[in-house]
Amino acid sequence: MTGGHTPSQHAPKRTDAVIVGAGAAGNLFAAVLAEAGKSVLVFDPGPAWKTGDLYSSSIWSRRLRWGGPAVESAGANPFGAGFNMGWGTGGAALHHYGTWPRLMPADFTMKSDFGKGLDWPIGYDDLRPFYDRVQEEVGVSGDAEAEVWRPAGAPYPLPPLQQFAQARLLQRGFHAQGMKTAPSPMAILSQDYKGRPACLYDGWCDAGCPIGALANPLVTYHPRAVKAGARFVNGAHVTQLIPGKTPRQAAGVEYIDSTGATRTAHADMVILAASTVSNPAILLNSTGGDWSRGAGNGSGLVGRYFMTHSIASVYGFFDGEETENYMGVTGAQATNMDHYGKQSLGGGAFGSLQWQLAPTMKPNDLLGVAMARADLFGADLTAFMERAVHHLAVMFGFGEGLPMLENRVELSERSGPGGMKTPRVVHSFAPESVKLSDMAAKLGLGIIKAGGASEPWAGPMATAHMMGGTIMGSDPRTSVTDSFGRSHDIDNLVIAGPGLFPTAGAMNPNFTNHALALRGAEHIAARWLS
Amino acid sequence: MQIEPAFDAHRPDGTGPNRRTLLKAAALGLFAFNVAGVEALISPAEARTRGAALSILSANEAALLEAFGEALVPGARAAGIAHFVDANLARPHHDSLLTARYLDVLPPHDAFYKAGLAALDGASRAVLGAPFAQVSAAAAKPLVAAMLPGTIAPWQGPPAALFYLAVRSDAADLVYGTRAAFARMQVPYMAHIDPPGDW
Repeated sequence: MTGGHTPSQHAPKRTDAVIVGAGAAGNLFAAVLAEAGKSVLVFDPGPAWKTGDLYSSSIWSRRLRWGGPAVESAGANPFGAGFNMGWGTGGAALHHYGTWPRLMPADFTMKSDFGKGLDWPIGYDDLRPFYDRVQEEVGVSGDAEAEVWRPAGAPYPLPPLQQFAQARLLQRGFHAQGMKTAPSPMAILSQDYKGRPACLYDGWCDAGCPIGALANPLVTYHPRAVKAGARFVNGAHVTQLIPGKTPRQAAGVEYIDSTGATRTAHADMVILAASTVSNPAILLNSTGGDWSRGAGNGSGLVGRYFMTHSIASVYGFFDGEETENYMGVTGAQATNMDHYGKQSLGGGAFGSLQWQLAPTMKPNDLLGVAMARADLFGADLTAFMERAVHHLAVMFGFGEGLPMLENRVELSERSGPGGMKTPRVVHSFAPESVKLSDMAAKLGLGIIKAGGASEPWAGPMATAHMMGGTIMGSDPRTSVTDSFGRSHDIDNLVIAGPGLFPTAGAMNPNFTNHALALRGAEHIAARWLS
Repeated sequence: MQIEPAFDAHRPDGTGPNRRTLLKAAALGLFAFNVAGVEALISPAEARTRGAALSILSANEAALLEAFGEALVPGARAAGIAHFVDANLARPHHDSLLTARYLDVLPPHDAFYKAGLAALDGASRAVLGAPFAQVSAAAAKPLVAAMLPGTIAPWQGPPAALFYLAVRSDAADLVYGTRAAFARMQVPYMAHIDPPGDW
């Protein structure tokens, strides 16, 4: 069977499975189902990126971000859709930073433990074997023993990544405060692994890793899917699901191809893996047949419980040192999770906190040196830059955002391809989450100062990552899918991606995204084959 | 009802650089500029030096953008900020390299830039008694400083802070984000794959 990119006019009209979205989850599902012998057709609205397209440039990297119909962002703490969403084969995982911590057991039982938020329908132990298998398959570097907070699991298959001066300097502050640090667990190769080369530490992860040291889908599950015969149609914007013979069946999907023509693809199984924002938008736009509230929306919760993480950014100068802040990886070189406990900070804050130390900073771009002091301009900025490119250090405190019903992906009044409504994301942090980020910033200022930094400051609270909106659960009245991502309402619809998370923890979501996708894909394949 | 074309529809009325030109430029990683009637794939700085025609911005808007960019990040004018922004506004949204994409500025981005520039000039005329392009850096400083906190008044346009951040990022891209800038700052560029132009 021949897989790979397929022009839309040659796309089969019917396959065993249609997958919407060629990101991390979509490619993983495609690989598993195709390897199980199923015919698989994957649609993605963006281009068919190759690793050779990934120029080492912060400016060119913007092509990897969402380029489809506008996503409106609203609320007291608007979500950064343009920065977080992906565009084209690889999706957001193509420009993600490869920081891969596991969720903690307590993240799965928040409502039971604290009466806040939600519970997952599964626990950490259900997901643990899939974390272990994924890290073995794609290669994760780290030091499991040094991560004293880490839940049970297989040690990392690779030793930790190299650290540079910025990381060593920042860790001094943690240690001076009696806090622990460990190398960050990274889906970046510290050694050659399964035919892929080790990292060169040039800090261009944000622009996509063309050598394949970072586990982006172009070098992990996409090649497997293609080899097994999965076919990919790029430039294809799926607008809605097509109802089947009964309300509990989807016949397939409707899409607009790169020429603007409206086409349909029918399948026995529909896998929705478009993104945390696009999945609910497609479902809510699918109002054909008896789906007047949108497909899979019997609970009325499609789009609800959208979550993101807060970021407390803390900066400081080490004037006597060359911080090498342009070296390393865009994610983080070291981590601390001493305050991961939901109530560990006290003072009215609630939620987990994870520190990520010493991400690479290039001089320009959203996370670059110049943006560290957005208030500076003119000659003041020039002077700042001359000092900062060699002496600045930064660390980020990722704070948990609580699942709240009112935070949502909804349809706007604007129309996009095919006349479908475009999404609007409405997001505000709960007061205890704002408190968490404020306290993290104060904590961080004390840490970095203890490490010898001068003139420390905290940037404004920002957001990162996208989760929720199509949450899993045991009760069809209070969730959209079961623990495998199967729709409660439509028997042949599976939803994939971090949109399934009922809580966000404070961990970068892509490792858990992979573990959930592998669990869901293998479950679907096994039931199908039996 | 506002209908957004799905793909490659940078101009609903079909005006602007043609698709063939844009594709060729994108393939080479450069921008296509029209210099004295001849298409040239050159850098924004060179486009400015050679007086390349603008596609989206008027001459007054370009002069205003140069003045604002220079006030934010010294060096932005000579680096060709007006031509850089103009060339990106002329491309399909998904090919744009502007930071406005990251800042969730709703397209079309040409309307955002034009409205922001008009608002800035209006504020300058009201507060400083002169067009922004004609005031000194020292005189402009309090006005610019009021943009990020949103206290600038009068202001009739997109959120002042958003416009400030977008243009400041454009200017920083050109002044600090190029290989030449890295070399000037003694920061190793260390490309895996060299970008097609200077960045």
